[in-house]
Amino acid sequence: MIINVNYQRMDVEIDLNIKQLFSLLKCDLDGHAVAVKQQVIERQKWASYQLQENDVVSVFQAIAGG
Amino acid sequence: MLTDPEVLRYSRHLLLQDVDVTGQEKLKNSKVLIIGMGGLGSPAALYLAAAGIGTLIISDFDVLDVSNLQRQIAYSTADVGKYKVLAMKQRLEALNPQIRIRSINKEMSQEQLSMELSMIDLVLDCTDNMHSRQKINTACVQTKTPLLVGAAIRMEGQLMFFDNKLSDSACYHCIFPQNSDESLNCSNSGVLGPVVGIIGTMQALEAIKFIVGIPSELKNKLKLFDAKTLEWQTFSINKNLQCAVCGAIS
Repeated sequence: MIINVNYQRMDVEIDLNIKQLFSLLKCDLDGHAVAVKQQVIERQKWASYQLQENDVVSVFQAIAGG
Repeated sequence: MLTDPEVLRYSRHLLLQDVDVTGQEKLKNSKVLIIGMGGLGSPAALYLAAAGIGTLIISDFDVLDVSNLQRQIAYSTADVGKYKVLAMKQRLEALNPQIRIRSINKEMSQEQLSMELSMIDLVLDCTDNMHSRQKINTACVQTKTPLLVGAAIRMEGQLMFFDNKLSDSACYHCIFPQNSDESLNCSNSGVLGPVVGIIGTMQALEAIKFIVGIPSELKNKLKLFDAKTLEWQTFSINKNLQCAVCGAIS
């Protein structure tokens, strides 16, 4: 299925969850947040949250600077 | 009651229906704590002092370095080597002698922070490290103090508002639970000066709106600013019932 991650189109397996998406992106789980369709998804739901066709996913890092 | 000099000084606020005399008096009676007098704290403190926040408490334990001047626009070259809060206090008193400014020139313990928070209306987190951000968030949740969080790095910024007086308020820890400083900061990643300026100015804007009572769309939201495209993205944050900081508090 096709999803959109940080403005990039990705062709991924059906029922991919957020934790598996992090593996695909080779991205550390710590220090990141994920939103699907503009809603931040709680960390404890990442392993069970199955992405859907055409989902718009945003992955971003905590920023500490100021 | 506003004095005649205050009516003159804040006349452009008084012309705004959304502020008017009632709103200006709320600003005059308010107490705001700004933690961090760097790139975010510079514009935030200047705007809030200019706006007539009655009591402004500014906190930082750092000394001004010449490399700060590229983005920390409240200071001048002659301030290098001075404590930031002392240079800032002078600057703010010169800008607006009609308000009270108190400076805290050390890193506050959790207990001192909680005590300070019990006496104020709003906190602006303008710090530059994750440890401080988590400490401030925890104290704000425990004391039910509204918290405006700003952060900026490279060419991106983040802005959040948590009204901890509300039982359904999320908190910073709900979205970013890590305590380590592997997250990015200005010292290790660089930042374009106006990016911190934009985020610090947005913090001041939202602070004024909150105190005056102008509705804000920022509650339980995270806004991401991309300085390359000038685009803002907005994300909703639900209170995480399993959050170690706010999950047990309702």
